[in-house]
Amino acid sequence: MVEFLQFTLSGVVFGMIYAAIALSLVLIWRGTRLLNFAQGGMAMLTTYVAIEVIYHTHSYWAGFVVALVAGLVLGAASELTVIRPTAGRPELNSVIVTIGLLILIEGLAGIFFGAQYRSFPAAFSVTGLKVGGTPLGVSRFDVFTAAAVLATTLILAATFRYTSAGLRMRAAAFNATIARLSGIRVARVLTVGWALAGLLGALAGVLVSPSTFLYPNSMDAIFVLGFTAAVIGGLDSPTGAVVGGLLLGIGLNYVAGYWNSNLTSLVALGILVAVLMIRPNGLFASARMRRV
Amino acid sequence: MSAEATAASAANGHAAALAVEGLVAGYGGVTALDGVTVTAHASGITAVLGANGAGKTTLLRAVSGMVKPRRGRVLLAGHDVAGQSPERIVRAGIAHVPEGQGVIPELTVEENLRVGMMSWRGKQSARAAAMEEEYERFKPLAERRRKLASTLSGGERQMLVIARALLARPRVLLLDEPSLGLAPRVMAQVMDLVVRLSREHGLTIVLVEQNARAALAIADHGVVLNLGRVVASADAATLASDVALRHHYLGF
Repeated sequence: MVEFLQFTLSGVVFGMIYAAIALSLVLIWRGTRLLNFAQGGMAMLTTYVAIEVIYHTHSYWAGFVVALVAGLVLGAASELTVIRPTAGRPELNSVIVTIGLLILIEGLAGIFFGAQYRSFPAAFSVTGLKVGGTPLGVSRFDVFTAAAVLATTLILAATFRYTSAGLRMRAAAFNATIARLSGIRVARVLTVGWALAGLLGALAGVLVSPSTFLYPNSMDAIFVLGFTAAVIGGLDSPTGAVVGGLLLGIGLNYVAGYWNSNLTSLVALGILVAVLMIRPNGLFASARMRRV
Repeated sequence: MSAEATAASAANGHAAALAVEGLVAGYGGVTALDGVTVTAHASGITAVLGANGAGKTTLLRAVSGMVKPRRGRVLLAGHDVAGQSPERIVRAGIAHVPEGQGVIPELTVEENLRVGMMSWRGKQSARAAAMEEEYERFKPLAERRRKLASTLSGGERQMLVIARALLARPRVLLLDEPSLGLAPRVMAQVMDLVVRLSREHGLTIVLVEQNARAALAIADHGVVLNLGRVVASADAATLASDVALRHHYLGF
């Protein structure tokens, strides 16, 4: 029973990180119907920025904030420089551009920061919390991780739901033609979407790196899991991304805990294939059909 | 024909609110509009008629900026807006209601209307007042303001897209097949509304319709397109009584 509680709680923590990556993919997918393969690479780069800032300022929080800002800037800059020129061309063009961007970023990281594994600090203690002598399987930093992603998600959700800027983003995502004819500058909205995706990725990178080490490919596996979470949720639904992330995090933790920790990647791949075969629109695909 | 039309309108004391001159536009290698000249008089209804593929929809898309014209001018009160982005053209005063699928079904009725006001800045109270005005005009929408637009009937959807276009505060309203797929009674209501918008509110309306009979019944002026060219341009009554033209291009 205690084991079950521990596996579940730490599954929630990993799930929130997958959810952050999944959300960043959903933000871009909704606006452009494009899967950003460079999302993990961008998160890796901003985490290197954080480690350098922490090294020079000796302040974790300075690194944390700079990483998030760097994520915003990198997201917007990627959209403006390499994605926008592919607009109006076949979709495959932009997909290949994001793969090229990933290779470029990982190559640059290798050149400037080296390929060795670097440890990344955590904001809070990583020793396990206990309640009445019972270990919970999560640390203070894990609690911070889950809370930080949850807070960011809620702020984003409230912005989308209640503000004029949020309405512009939703309108542009649902129907770009109507949005443009109504005077919404859709190109600008897309740039903002990429910036927010960059921010979420950067957050995930900073939160996951204390447990994975940081190296040029360190976010690849996290990206695949985040992508799986997004597919479980339907790629189109922010709620689905969060629920998908949590289901995946908890599920994989049970696999690792009760069965064999070497099997998690294989099981994740199995889930991805199964969802795509059985319910390709994801668990949260709305029932509506668009009239064409 | 442009010079004549301009001269005629000047003689009638009407100003050309929208003048399209020698417009050429297309998609890839296809030329959908080949030198089209159309004048829409202020506060009048101009019907654009023709068979499928005649270029009617492309004409509206080229005017609103969704398609970049290759040549020609689009004069809004004498000011050329051809080639500008749709976001700028709607700010200049041209609102375009595209054919079908005009509502955003995932948004509520009220959110759809708020989207219509994205082209201008104004105090919250001014925005609320503008929206109330549309709810007053379209009572069924007021009752469903918090409902998703996907729950509306065909007629209500058409009301919603027209209300949203009006909230952009246009001088010229481009309507693409507003009666498409509506029951005859609802279609008559929509046509009545179009008449009221021009007569009572002074809007200049360009109406693209497959149903030529219904369009000519309410229009002041009619333009017939065929394969991207203007083949006739005259008073609506004259067009409606031209038997040869009707048989040849309009099918009634």
